[in-house]
Amino acid sequence: MTTAARLLPALFALVALAAGAQPVRVDHAEAELVAATAAIVPGKPLSVGLRLKHDPHWHTYWQVPGDSGLPTTLKWQLPAGFSAGPIEWPLPKRLPIGPLMNFGYEGEVLLPVQVATPLAVTEGQTLLLRARADWLICKDVCIPGGADLQLSLPVQSAAAPSRHAALFDSTRRQIPQPVTLDRAAAAIEANRIRLSYQAATPVRSLEFFPLEEGRIEPAAAQTLRAEAGHTVLHLTAAQPVAAGFQVLKGVLVANGGPTMAGEGGWAGVIDVPLVAGTVAQVAPAASAPAVIGETGPSMGLWVALAGAFIGGLLLNLMPCVFPVLSLKLLSLMQHQRAEDEARLPHASLRAHGVAFAAGVVICVVLLAAVLIALRGAGEQLGWGFQLQTPWVIAALTLLFFLIGLNLLGTFELSVGGALASSGAAQRLQTDRLSGSFATGLLAVVVAAPCTAPFMGAALGFAMTQPAPTALAVFATLGAGMAAPYVALTWMPALLARLPRPGAWMLRFKQVMAFPMFATCVWLLWVLAQQVGIDAVAMVLGGLVLAALGAWAFGLMQVGARRWRWIALASLPLSLYAVFGATTPGASTARDAVRAADAAGWQPWSQAAQQSGLAAGKPLFVDFTAAWCVTCQANKRLVLSSGAVQAAFAQRGITMLRADWTNRDDEITRELARFGRNGVPLYVLYGREGRTEVLPELLTERIVLDALDRL
Amino acid sequence: MLRRHFLALPLIALAPLPALAQPSPGQNAPAFSLTDLDGRRVSLADLRGKFVVLEWTNPSCPFVQKHYGSGNMQALQKRFTGEGVQWLVINSTATTHPEYLPAAEQKAWLRKQGAAPAIAALDADGAVGRAYGAKVTPHMYVIDPNGVLAYAGAIDDKRSADPADVKTARNYVVQAFTELRAGKPVSSPSTQAYGCTIKYG
Repeated sequence: MTTAARLLPALFALVALAAGAQPVRVDHAEAELVAATAAIVPGKPLSVGLRLKHDPHWHTYWQVPGDSGLPTTLKWQLPAGFSAGPIEWPLPKRLPIGPLMNFGYEGEVLLPVQVATPLAVTEGQTLLLRARADWLICKDVCIPGGADLQLSLPVQSAAAPSRHAALFDSTRRQIPQPVTLDRAAAAIEANRIRLSYQAATPVRSLEFFPLEEGRIEPAAAQTLRAEAGHTVLHLTAAQPVAAGFQVLKGVLVANGGPTMAGEGGWAGVIDVPLVAGTVAQVAPAASAPAVIGETGPSMGLWVALAGAFIGGLLLNLMPCVFPVLSLKLLSLMQHQRAEDEARLPHASLRAHGVAFAAGVVICVVLLAAVLIALRGAGEQLGWGFQLQTPWVIAALTLLFFLIGLNLLGTFELSVGGALASSGAAQRLQTDRLSGSFATGLLAVVVAAPCTAPFMGAALGFAMTQPAPTALAVFATLGAGMAAPYVALTWMPALLARLPRPGAWMLRFKQVMAFPMFATCVWLLWVLAQQVGIDAVAMVLGGLVLAALGAWAFGLMQVGARRWRWIALASLPLSLYAVFGATTPGASTARDAVRAADAAGWQPWSQAAQQSGLAAGKPLFVDFTAAWCVTCQANKRLVLSSGAVQAAFAQRGITMLRADWTNRDDEITRELARFGRNGVPLYVLYGREGRTEVLPELLTERIVLDALDRL
Repeated sequence: MLRRHFLALPLIALAPLPALAQPSPGQNAPAFSLTDLDGRRVSLADLRGKFVVLEWTNPSCPFVQKHYGSGNMQALQKRFTGEGVQWLVINSTATTHPEYLPAAEQKAWLRKQGAAPAIAALDADGAVGRAYGAKVTPHMYVIDPNGVLAYAGAIDDKRSADPADVKTARNYVVQAFTELRAGKPVSSPSTQAYGCTIKYG
């Protein structure tokens, strides 16, 4: 053996010392090839990896980088017989950049690779593993980085852990392994994806990282729900949805991932067939996902039911319910009088209250059922949708106008006539009960658009729930609204405090006509926003014809039968005028009205909002509708007040107004983003992404305080 | 008490950052209006009847440098502009970002590169970029003479910042034009764009 041959291993050892443990510094990162063990054992898999240590705030990318970026790559040059596997990617972090999302790593990360070693390597020698690493490192700018790295290790029959062993151990726990979820299913409709499974343990938070690019929208909110015993994650598919997207492949991270194993954290790779199906629209994720229990309704449901009940109670105080409330009050008083005269038992009064409550609840539930059906059909409708339809407004105007004429005594309804002439108590009671029922129905139709505090939130919650839950929330809302009446009728002591009947009652009834006419003015104003002044003129003409008909009808009732033809002819003419002007073909005047309304306010659009936010200025958005009296009251009394306007101007706040008077899908979606289905909604966007939702009943104080908190 | 809990629970969400709009190929390309580097107003409506290419750029981005450094982007611009295509270079970097370039500097950079777009413009408020869902530089769009989006995505299929890859890459813009000119549907109308994040600020 020559000297040279004896020296060779020593030379190798020197090379190893020089190359083996030297980290390389390249733009904003330190890179190094490392191994879990201090030696290569023939035939045993060797754990090696790229250790990257980023400068603070710099990051490199996961195997699927998200909206931008590139995954880190390793190209190996290994001794004969060795072969390297792929990078075993540990869990990435979500890295938001403006409106975009990346998946990657900050701080120190190890990208491990398993290297297969042959049995036929001679112990005692030192082998050199080389790899070319390439990455893209970014902060707010990106720099392509790369290094030629090498690692030399001796070949031994047994290997001790290296100084990097702990890093390999902790990283190994972060590498997700395939999991099979119980009853996993994935459905897609348009760009909405619904991933569901049955969880063995409660799921507090769930994150999905796609393993294929261009499948899901990386930056879109991921919303966790509990639906009928299933854990459901709503995702957003990237547009256009890729034709080959038939399996949802990704990494699921639950409850904070493996580092939170003590609190039920885990992560796994899933592979769920994606089928076309029905996927409900959901409100975006709350900042902290709700805790979801595995049995029984979640706490959220009970709180929502309580909120819905209180919301229903408060609805009675809303301006747009007031006319109906006065109708009801009048009817209650009549009842009290009838009781005095006919000595009817309290039971009838109670039945009356219950009938009204039934009317309210059934109407609310019916509306909700229709809404749910439409939701299922993919219609983007909100709660106030009835009043977004011009012909509904016109019909309501006609109805309130006729009620007003009736209250003034222009004509009597047959029920009233029967009340006056007949002594058949049984029949009267039936009529009155149905009347109470109808009043209940009417109250709901008018109240729906005025979402009181709680109501908007309850609706938003309900619309994202399965149908039975949604219906329960709506029914509770109706019950809350009817509760005061039921209480009044069941506790006659309260009723007895109402004034005694007398001649004033007729005058009171007549006076009640004026809130009705005032309501007509409001409805016509709404109509003018929707279809313009020409249509309103037509409807007003129709009202004149209706008045003529009502007057002739009244004459007919007192025996002047020759007026009959006027009554008969004016009704269809009136209906023709009212509905002819407001059918879908009728012109829309909203743009002109919007422009005229815009002092200091700009019309809201997603684009306007984004460019406002991009400019870094605070932003206030007023979600409103002409038919929402609460909105109008807030607008006139608070938002337009000198103090509030001055505060807006002083802080350079961009004021955007989202007008939902007519159907507008963009606004409907934005409301849904806040879990709402109705207006008003007031949102203040501060600096640094702070968002504050103001209450639905505003005062100057509330607004000014919110501005101070900016 | 109850009220506070109720509102806090599922609903008062810190609104996630607004997502980008995302027109799909086959849909009408969103209308826009921009001021070019010489101060002239350009709107998409004025370009009706011609093919339009939108190229999102940012001179500081290594991926943009890959395609300009190799001469690839300029060659594409010359070739298609010569064929009557309206090629627009758009920079959506926000004024607040260190990589923002005022119009004069952007113009100087383009001149130095020997770039030959029909039009170059800044979109510092990001309105156009957001309307198109542009995420990275370079992000490429082809709009047909009817104003319909024909292609959206990457410039080519080699996702790297290495100029050497340009030679071996399949260029999606060239492919889209070849197919459109032959009266065929675009076979890859939508691809995953690669590059630097657009600095929307």
